[in-house]
Amino acid sequence: MAVGAAARTGVSGRSRHVAVAVGIVVVLLVPIGRSNFFQGLAADAFIAGIVVLSLVVLTGLVGQISFCQYSFAAVGALTVGSLVGGHHWSFWAALPMGVLGAALVGVIVGIPALRLSGLFLAILTVAVALFFDRFLLSPGTWDSFSGGISPWKVGRPSLFGLHLDGAYTFFVFVLVVFLLLCAAVWNLRTGKTGRVLRGIRDSEIAASTMGLDLTAWKLAAFGLSAAIAGLAGGLLATSVGSVSPPSFDLLHSLQIAAIVTVMGPGSVTSAAAGGVFFIGGTELLRHTPLSARWFPLILGVLLIAQLVYQPDGAVTEAEHQGRRLLSRRSRAGAPSTEAA
Amino acid sequence: VHLLAVSTLSLLPAFTVVGLVLGGTYALAAIGLVLIYRVSGVLNFAHGAVAMFATFIAYQISVVWGLPSILGLVAAIAAGALLGLAIEVFTMRPLAGRPAITKVVVTIGWLLVLQTAAGLIWKDTAYHRPVKLVSSNGFHLIGTNVIVGYDQLVTLIVALAFALGTAALLRYTTLGVSMRAVADAPDTARLWGVSVNRVTAASWMAGSAMAAVAGVLITPRINFTTFALTVIVIDAFTAALIGRLSSLPWTVVGAMFLGLAQTYPRAFQHIALLQKAGSGELVTFVLVLVVLGLLFRPGSRRLRVA
Repeated sequence: MAVGAAARTGVSGRSRHVAVAVGIVVVLLVPIGRSNFFQGLAADAFIAGIVVLSLVVLTGLVGQISFCQYSFAAVGALTVGSLVGGHHWSFWAALPMGVLGAALVGVIVGIPALRLSGLFLAILTVAVALFFDRFLLSPGTWDSFSGGISPWKVGRPSLFGLHLDGAYTFFVFVLVVFLLLCAAVWNLRTGKTGRVLRGIRDSEIAASTMGLDLTAWKLAAFGLSAAIAGLAGGLLATSVGSVSPPSFDLLHSLQIAAIVTVMGPGSVTSAAAGGVFFIGGTELLRHTPLSARWFPLILGVLLIAQLVYQPDGAVTEAEHQGRRLLSRRSRAGAPSTEAA
Repeated sequence: VHLLAVSTLSLLPAFTVVGLVLGGTYALAAIGLVLIYRVSGVLNFAHGAVAMFATFIAYQISVVWGLPSILGLVAAIAAGALLGLAIEVFTMRPLAGRPAITKVVVTIGWLLVLQTAAGLIWKDTAYHRPVKLVSSNGFHLIGTNVIVGYDQLVTLIVALAFALGTAALLRYTTLGVSMRAVADAPDTARLWGVSVNRVTAASWMAGSAMAAVAGVLITPRINFTTFALTVIVIDAFTAALIGRLSSLPWTVVGAMFLGLAQTYPRAFQHIALLQKAGSGELVTFVLVLVVLGLLFRPGSRRLRVA
């Protein structure tokens, strides 16, 4: 049984590597030769993917819910915006500050979250998002950070002499960042940290009996999740070229939470699919008789239908199907011992 | 400084009236929220969105078509009740036995659907003319120079009437006792022959109808947009949390406290930050933090009427 399991993971592990490699090549090829606009959208899709990934960390790994991921992203974006646009910092110096700032805010939000279960954490994060939207970042409260009524301008930086102005170059840069983060989260999931986090997710009492410091781990998870969202915010600032708070409001955060649920919070692949779905879906609607403004409505309907009829998430489900298919093919001829 | 203090103090009675009226509408919304939560176990994040959608139906009838506002109110109540019924029957009943958080996420789905639909129909950002049930003329409060608008008085009376009415319903009627039975012990209630489905549906209808009334009453008092009404749910949550999501009287107290706490800071007219439209959000946020972070312990499941 144990040998069989090892062999199975070995086989599906290799075919997974092939699948991931093919996926990356396809994603790299598709935008080539397309318009700047299309390539810009592709970059934005993977930036949104990073926001989705930040929630995968929180929901998939520690089982915490958050309806304020875009508030964390706003901290990253506006830190970059105010430092680059207001104080003429280099983008590369400002981005780590944005990530750090977002992580700090994440840890602060995490403190009251320590003693709250899912439902009440949900209320808290909505309150956080509204506080950011309607008070802290609205014009007149803290204009030297939020930019007030005039958005911060953030130009495209260059990296090792390579200018990121080009739409395709920037897309590749975003994709690389996205993949590095995915790999990091993937490692986290499969390594010791992942086991600790899943232990906390599945049973807090058991985990604390094992001598784990729940407080530190949960705060770290919040900090990490917020940091990833903050990084996405910083990238969005330079992608769009300007930052203003309305593009980081509660409705964006709710949509990301909905997307994570629809795609399945347990998987890193969901992040890529979710980002492409968020940006691509909005863009596709523009070319139909409906307008892009219909997107949240359709997403809401999908979310409800999903939870009522197929609770695991579309991508997670598809992955299961795919894995079953691959493992069956690799053991063709051998009698299937798997009930699942 | 002395003069400022005096002017701030002299504003106190007028601001008390404004705060209590605002609190009254929060109380209405919060009672509906608690009723739904207690009976069905669902923390309804779409409560504000339901209130918003129903309120915009009243807006369509009374403001756009110019029909009598009482007609708009009745339509809003009906729309609220129907929405509540639809949410429960089509999306909550199939989820019986699933984790509470799944149901919460479904209500987020409803929030997105209703908010977007209303934005498409009635436009997102534009300010809308409020639904006026009664004239905003008023009278001097005896012995003071404070003017109380008739609409303010009506709002407060309606809110208190609904609060007392709900308490009476829960205490004296068969339906109300059934609701409490389902809230306390659904399985036992079923054994006693209570139709849990029907009672749950009734609580969703009643709770959502109350949200609709709250929405219509609050329109003259806020920046009347789809989003502003949808996020009233967080004010309702705050009040409900002060009532530990179970006590109706404490929920009303919490709502009044929230209404006053959002209003009084505006009396400090020399502090620009407190005059902002979003300053209410600051107060709500601080209260949510205090209540959730320090005070709140999920209490007994018993729905307390008094």
